[in-house]
Amino acid sequence: MRDATKSEPYPSVGQGHPDGRTPNVGPVVDLRYAEELVERTGSSPHSVIPILQGLQDHYGYLPGEALLKVCESTEITPSAVAGVSSFYDMFRHKPVGESIVRVCSGTACHVTGAERVEAALRRHLHIPDGGDTDANGLFTIEKVACLGCCTLAPVVKVNELTFGHVNQEKIPALLREVQESVDGEAPATEDPCDPAGGRPVINVGLGSCCMAKGSDQLFVALQKDVEESKLDVVIKRVGCVGICHRTPMIEVKVPGRESAFYAGIKAAESRSLIHRHFGAKGIFHRAARLWNKAVDGLLLEESVDPTELFRVHPKEPTVSAFLDYQIHIATEHFGRADPLDLDEYVADGGFSALARCLGRSLDGASSNGGRNPAITPEEIITIIQRSGLRGRGGAGFATASKWKLAAAQTSAQKFVICNGDEGDPGAFMDRMLLESFPFRIIEGLAIAAIAIGAHDGIFYIRHEYPLAVRRVRAAIKLCQQRGWLGEKLMGADYPLKFTIKEGAGAFVCGEETALIASIEGSRGMPRLRPPFPAQSGLWQKPTVINNVETLAMVPWILRHGPVKFATYGTSASKGTKVFALAGNVQRGGLIEIPMGTTIRQIVEDIGGGVAPGRKFKAVQIGGPSGGCLPARLADTPVDFESLRDVGAIMGSGGLVVLDDTACMVDIARYFLQFTQNQSCGKCTFCRVGTRRLLDILEAICAGKGRAADLVELEKLCRQVGAGSLCGLGKTAPNPVLTTLRYFRDEYEAHLQGRCPAGKCPALIKYHIRDNCTGCTICAQRCPVDAIPSTPYQRHVVNMEKCTRCDSCRRVCPSNAVEIV
Amino acid sequence: MSGETFTITIDQRPVDVVAGETVLKAAARIGIKIPTLCYLEKCGPLNSCQVCLVKINGRLVPSCGTVSEAGMSVESESVEVHEARRTALELLFSDHVGDCLAPCNRLCPLRLNIPVMLRETEEGRIQQAISTVFEALPLPGVLGALCHHPCEQGCRRGQWDDPAAIRAIEKHLADEHRQSKTPYIPSRKPASGKSVVIVGAGPAGLSAAWSLLRQGHSVTVADRHSQAGGTLTSVPPRHLPEEVLAGETRQLASLGLQFRFGSELGRDLTLDGLLRGFDAVILAVGGITPAEAQSYGLESSSAGIKAQAETFETSRKAVFACGRAVREMTQVLRAISDGQSAATCVNQFLMGSPIRKTPKPFSSIMGRVGRTELKLFLRSTSTSSSTTPCNPSAGLDRREASLESSRCLHCDCRSSGSCALQTYAQTYGVDASRFRSQRRNFEQQVQPGGVIFEPGKCILCGICVKLTEIAREPLGLAFIGRGFNVRVSAPFNRSIEDGLRQTAEECVKHCPTGALSWK
Repeated sequence: MRDATKSEPYPSVGQGHPDGRTPNVGPVVDLRYAEELVERTGSSPHSVIPILQGLQDHYGYLPGEALLKVCESTEITPSAVAGVSSFYDMFRHKPVGESIVRVCSGTACHVTGAERVEAALRRHLHIPDGGDTDANGLFTIEKVACLGCCTLAPVVKVNELTFGHVNQEKIPALLREVQESVDGEAPATEDPCDPAGGRPVINVGLGSCCMAKGSDQLFVALQKDVEESKLDVVIKRVGCVGICHRTPMIEVKVPGRESAFYAGIKAAESRSLIHRHFGAKGIFHRAARLWNKAVDGLLLEESVDPTELFRVHPKEPTVSAFLDYQIHIATEHFGRADPLDLDEYVADGGFSALARCLGRSLDGASSNGGRNPAITPEEIITIIQRSGLRGRGGAGFATASKWKLAAAQTSAQKFVICNGDEGDPGAFMDRMLLESFPFRIIEGLAIAAIAIGAHDGIFYIRHEYPLAVRRVRAAIKLCQQRGWLGEKLMGADYPLKFTIKEGAGAFVCGEETALIASIEGSRGMPRLRPPFPAQSGLWQKPTVINNVETLAMVPWILRHGPVKFATYGTSASKGTKVFALAGNVQRGGLIEIPMGTTIRQIVEDIGGGVAPGRKFKAVQIGGPSGGCLPARLADTPVDFESLRDVGAIMGSGGLVVLDDTACMVDIARYFLQFTQNQSCGKCTFCRVGTRRLLDILEAICAGKGRAADLVELEKLCRQVGAGSLCGLGKTAPNPVLTTLRYFRDEYEAHLQGRCPAGKCPALIKYHIRDNCTGCTICAQRCPVDAIPSTPYQRHVVNMEKCTRCDSCRRVCPSNAVEIV
Repeated sequence: MSGETFTITIDQRPVDVVAGETVLKAAARIGIKIPTLCYLEKCGPLNSCQVCLVKINGRLVPSCGTVSEAGMSVESESVEVHEARRTALELLFSDHVGDCLAPCNRLCPLRLNIPVMLRETEEGRIQQAISTVFEALPLPGVLGALCHHPCEQGCRRGQWDDPAAIRAIEKHLADEHRQSKTPYIPSRKPASGKSVVIVGAGPAGLSAAWSLLRQGHSVTVADRHSQAGGTLTSVPPRHLPEEVLAGETRQLASLGLQFRFGSELGRDLTLDGLLRGFDAVILAVGGITPAEAQSYGLESSSAGIKAQAETFETSRKAVFACGRAVREMTQVLRAISDGQSAATCVNQFLMGSPIRKTPKPFSSIMGRVGRTELKLFLRSTSTSSSTTPCNPSAGLDRREASLESSRCLHCDCRSSGSCALQTYAQTYGVDASRFRSQRRNFEQQVQPGGVIFEPGKCILCGICVKLTEIAREPLGLAFIGRGFNVRVSAPFNRSIEDGLRQTAEECVKHCPTGALSWK
């Protein structure tokens, strides 16, 4: 009876799996593509993720038949397909709507109302909780961990279009816009640009955030208008400009004249801008004159130029405050360099460090006829060691120690990996660096390869960063075309092959051993260390994994010397750190500051503090592994040790400012929800422990907490931290522990049924004050008819019906709606 | 490297290890048994359960995957390490859907394994059924007649129609036994050389006597009446036929019990005198006044003799008291279980070990089941409603008892007793209800080949997934999902048995819990 019966390999379908993450029988699927894909990608077990990604790109989801086909025609087992396809966020087993609406739930988005945006989207599209696609099959809602556009929070991305500063009132227009532009295709920004020579240049920032604010459309409009008017002006693609709160930002550079900067300018202003700076010729000139007369002349005074409204002066106090503290090492030449102009990169000193490591000069010959030998791998490591460079990915492990350990291994094959799986919600430094400075990261990774003796390099980049993937791919191709990568690295007798692996959506893959598992085609589950990856990593070969920002600093250190690098920073934390400054702060953006800068300098001087009338309450630093530090500790210098001493960590560089509208219990709950959702599920403490921590926090936020809960919370936090297998679980309790330590009064208030910040829906009520004029706007906007429309009378909110969406309070012109 | 040996210390004890050996193996060699759930030699360290934690250099690490290094100092049996292991177990239990022991079993103060008794009866294995009953119950005939059967109140079948008629079945077994020619003699330990006298031959006294006899002690019961039974003798015969009580007395006598009738404490006997002749005294004299208690030279309480609730000790050393002599009780079952608990303490006293109340056997508790869950249990049971005996005065006959037994839902765990999770829970004093949480639904997949898969009991150790991989199963098993939602399942919605074509035997055998079992 217990004997295995030998019949067809995969017998008929049994009972359904309750979690619905297993293949469905969908519409009839043409399997020819699956066959082609396997042919192209290869049939070895480690091809599973690229194959699944290819299937999903083609079919929009993973049809069960196609998965079976893959198992039949490759060495990939059913277990691997089922396990891997259900592990990573990006894979879907059901057909999706025509458009995918991705609601970012990163930290900055969370504190600026992402949950309300999602609720409003669901209401608008009539998608109930638990469902994801509307009845017409037009839209599928997907919650994503972080889109990395934190300064635009809350962010929604529909297909390839990103929308920033979304609120419930903007949703109908947003969806209309999407339906009108069915393609939803973002303009390509990887084509080669003309070199400027001595011509006038307009620099357009084309980082993801800038593009989300329309800089790509502006870029295309400027190109078109310049061409039409036959002007000899170069429209130049540049990387992130850092001043994200003012994007899209452009710089007009005319030789011999001072640069002019514009912020927040749109494609519609393209013509005016060109007209203003370069006059105009031909048809366009006449048209512009006519337009100016017809429109401006009638409405405005002749002297008012619409573009003047957007003009920014670099000496403007807010801009200079934002820029003055910064030291640009990883972000050297920010806002000026074309991400994909290899000549420009070389002209700026790029690849000279790598060339020195190989004993080459940049014209392709051995330098000094070979008399001046290359810096040896040992010397590279010594230089990095003397610079004091520590990993920028979070833990701050000395980069040179990692390299030394890997260099000491005798294996014939070694790997270097650039860890671009930036997963912290509220962080986007690595995305920006990859998008803006791909050559710099390539150079850094190549130097790391030489230092340890590796001939294979891998860029592991999360799939949520398509632009970063495209730019790195384009940059690698440009290097190959020049003969600088491949069989002969920079012409030297050193083969180095670079490949790109796209992550598939799993925060835990930022952990080194999980990242390796993912590249090997498995579920991204970390393993016990030792052995460390530098001893036994990818395919059991010595492997060095460095964060993007760490690698971005390497060429600079070799060019300027370790001493120069070490002059920045503190005694144990050398150099600079890139931060993504976001949240309730006036001037968010991407900043690079010397280690040791205080939190206050960052928040108040660089970021301009919180909005007027609000109070600076805390900063969340280090993302889900970090902590919340109260405003009273704002003089803490930002370095590895100081942050550790106050219970936070440096982390990868997310720095979210919180004002008095943020509920600290809710913040703790938010992070636990994140880690709980991102836990790989392998070890007990992380899988179940974080869930139990979340249970307690949810109970407290719902007003069902008990005094004993705080004791259990603290105890379990310590045990989860001590007992988890990898860094994710070990640090997951930090947001809870720091909020318990610094904001215990808020926890206690919740136990008494109060949410002091007025955030937790179960603990707040809306009340309309006497100054209500009875204008009925709130009643019209209320999505659930909880406010009867009673003109000229004070309105009243029916709390039974109210969903706490906050619409009424936001739209009230008399500020009469209050949270009690 | 291989062959190199060095020394590490575990709990300050030196151990010689060969390079490459794990801490877990090194500890086992000096008799330190570190608990493991996800470890199976063949699979290598999976590092998932984290129950095998030890402390090295101030950090907790899983000993199954940690390789020994020269000079390593390991902490295993310390308060902190045990607390971490306990928490790991408690976390697993907070997401463990299933009962180790059925509610009927947990509610029986005498711990009769009712589901086993019912399955034996159903299958007609009457001798085994009798053995199950007679190993657990001191007075099975009396209980068959008079027990107030809390088991039936807890029976999940009662949520559907009527509870299984557990007492009637037990009565049937006791009747069968009384009519058989070869009485069942419960197992007994070898003679201890210790002697106990019990004053009072009522239910509490007889129960205590039965328990102590089985521990190998010599037991004498003294009573002022001329026959055993105490209050039981005043129960009308239509409720408790005389031959039943007579049968119980015979059974006890065959275990070696000495009776001394017509002897009353205070008149014929004194505590001083008894303590000269016996190693311990149990007073099970029934309801008495505080004054009477004092007249024995003991401290009194409002209900009679003052005795420690947990240990049954009176104010005088070696003198214990139980039953109605100590506290009010109306149920005969309570008196019997009180006598049994007192006997356990007296046994500890006689053996010189610390006296403490016997802990309840550990059980995971899933609580009330919903209608859909109940239907899963009902699938493999008889759907008929409760059985009415043809001859009500005689009770159930053998066929009727079997039929009624088949109504049991088998809601106890098939792996209870062989489950590593359950065993460690007992060892580490786990509180299975430490975390309040919404439990998942109970699921049960009954496979045609006989494998039963209960996903709610799976702790995701990964052993079965690994075993199918090693055996190159054509389909195999996989982890599906991520984080708290990870589940083990066969790929592509196939059945578990499809995934276990060559490895079913092996996987069921090595499942550390009751997630995989045979029907």
